[in-house]
Amino acid sequence: MTDETTQTLLKFTGHRHLPSRLLLSTLTGRPIRISQIRPNNVSRQGLQPHEVSFIRLLDSITNGSKIEFGMSGSTLVYRPGLITGSAEGLGASGGVLRHELGRGCEGRGVSWWIIPLCILSSFSKGHMNVIFHGEGCVTGAHPVSGDLSVDSVRTAILPLYKQFGIERDIELRVLKRSCAPSGGKSAGGEVQIVFNHQVRLPKTLHLLNPGRVKRIRGVAYAIGVGGSNNARSIESARGVLNKFVPDTYIFSDVSGAPFIQTPNDKNNPSGKKKGAVGFGLSLVAESSTGCLYSADVASPPEGGTTPEDVGRQCAYQLLEVIQQGGCVSRSAAETVFCLMAMGSEDVGRIAMGRDVIASENTIQLGRDLREFGGAGWGFRDKGEGSEEVVVSVVGRGVGNVGRKAV
Amino acid sequence: MAPTLGKRKRITRDELEQPSRPPSPSSASSESESDSEDVQDIFRRAFEAKFKPLEVDSKKPRVEEVNLELEDQEEEDSDWSGITSDEEEQVQVVEYSHLRHTGDRASKAEQRAFMSSKPPTLSGSTLFKTRPSTKAPADENDLTEASHLKNDVALQRLLRDSHLLSSTSTSGTSTPTLSAVGSQRHKSTDLHLLSLGAKSSIHAQKNMPMSHRIGISAKAKEREERRRAEAKENGVILEKERRAKKFTKERERGVGGPGVGKFRGGTLSLSKKDVRDITSSGGGRGGKGKGKRGRR
Repeated sequence: MTDETTQTLLKFTGHRHLPSRLLLSTLTGRPIRISQIRPNNVSRQGLQPHEVSFIRLLDSITNGSKIEFGMSGSTLVYRPGLITGSAEGLGASGGVLRHELGRGCEGRGVSWWIIPLCILSSFSKGHMNVIFHGEGCVTGAHPVSGDLSVDSVRTAILPLYKQFGIERDIELRVLKRSCAPSGGKSAGGEVQIVFNHQVRLPKTLHLLNPGRVKRIRGVAYAIGVGGSNNARSIESARGVLNKFVPDTYIFSDVSGAPFIQTPNDKNNPSGKKKGAVGFGLSLVAESSTGCLYSADVASPPEGGTTPEDVGRQCAYQLLEVIQQGGCVSRSAAETVFCLMAMGSEDVGRIAMGRDVIASENTIQLGRDLREFGGAGWGFRDKGEGSEEVVVSVVGRGVGNVGRKAV
Repeated sequence: MAPTLGKRKRITRDELEQPSRPPSPSSASSESESDSEDVQDIFRRAFEAKFKPLEVDSKKPRVEEVNLELEDQEEEDSDWSGITSDEEEQVQVVEYSHLRHTGDRASKAEQRAFMSSKPPTLSGSTLFKTRPSTKAPADENDLTEASHLKNDVALQRLLRDSHLLSSTSTSGTSTPTLSAVGSQRHKSTDLHLLSLGAKSSIHAQKNMPMSHRIGISAKAKEREERRRAEAKENGVILEKERRAKKFTKERERGVGGPGVGKFRGGTLSLSKKDVRDITSSGGGRGGKGKGKRGRR
């Protein structure tokens, strides 16, 4: 522990890419210092509630992490500990860690927490079993921040782990659905992520052939509104997609609006309040080689969108994602690159669309990885008349520190 | 309509050829014809009320009449009216151009697989996937190969059973055949089973009176001895005699018996080995039971 404290801090600035930096810090064990987090924003200076919540989550799934905030919350020093999973005594009870996303977290979808958590989980010492709940837990797609819905995470992100040899005992249960609330309302969803397959080192990935899309699946969800909304959005999405892929099925899930406990409300003696209502659609296209493309659209919190629009928009979004090409879509790039970078000391290759690579998040992830001591990525044109780029990523060969002895 | 054989009424043909036309006053129509045309008309009106009006076909009545005349002549000649052909019949093609969704509902199993909390498996629905047939269509080479294999097996069996078969042939009661039948077949099966590792022959009798068993074994022993003696006299070298192995396994000790030594006649007698084991166990040997050999 002493040598860790003497380790030099990696310095970053700004609030952007905060979760991915914290994630890389935890995976590599390098302490970081992030300064100038929204320094000049008068109304929302420093870390925001959802970011604090993410740091809390990191604190509860690791052992020995040290977190220091500056006075104004615009500076953060994070010294990562060992990823222990939802071990007893560190906030977990009965092997399950309940993580509350309170008010202020509804600005992000719950996938914002879940995707980095899954990456961490595969390198954990013990099993990971976390329930996200609370007023800020949005399970549907987030129309403002653009976060994925949990359905997309389950159907488009989690299957990717299989290609790294991580496939057993992974579950993502939606206990209560919710959607992004407008002002004054709260979300109140509940999601459980079970991630019980920990590995020493993920397998090296070679994914060069995106294949052709052979089937499209999807989930339409309606929360607190009629199920006909689902039928309408499904109909219009299929109207667009059926021409391209006849094997298109979209399943419907109708649930009531979640109730939120409000014990200390004078106006509401029953102590319960209805959460936000809305509907949305999540689509996943699967190619013949097992590459996944996903799209997510949900009704905006203020309403005023027809289900047909949502369905059509989602279908077009899916087509756009497919058009970007490559073996990995933008939403899954972080997961794939992190797992590749943490893999064995071997060169993994992956074909990506230019637009996917050129997105800000991906580029910043590559730069951050190099900051954390990883080798740089190699790029070359795929050739064969395709627009794709083959990215070569060298693994660090360190892998799971917690499972070294195994 | 399928071509029909035999004599029919003219009316039917007429009906067929002008299915959607109003009855024309020019054509000479019989009572029944007009009746059936009325029915047609009713049907037509009902159809037109529901869907769009039918097109009146462009056939000219003149041709029709000629046809009729020809037919009349033919009918006069003979009873045979010929095979009707439906070439002139106008087939109305309805094109249903509305985009149809192939199977609006996925199966329950697939829904369960996809909507469960587990991430759906890549290239998921194995339920509907047809198993790729590993067997390629058998070509000639394969066929001959298969037949060779079959013959091989048959030959091996024949070699194995040859002595059984030869015994039948010498008995002279039956003609020698290459396939075992009856009791021979049973014997052959028995041999096969033994060669595959059966514990005992299926012909071996399990239970019998002790006197019988002793007699049988004594006889077998005597026979064997005689054979060996004869062979020795004649200078024939036989296979090595196999003696029944003596039972050398450790005797099962009863509960409460001595842990060491032998209890016989009211005294516990220890062998030298036992004594050595007892005396040396404290010092020289290292771990507990690790390098210890012997009974316990």
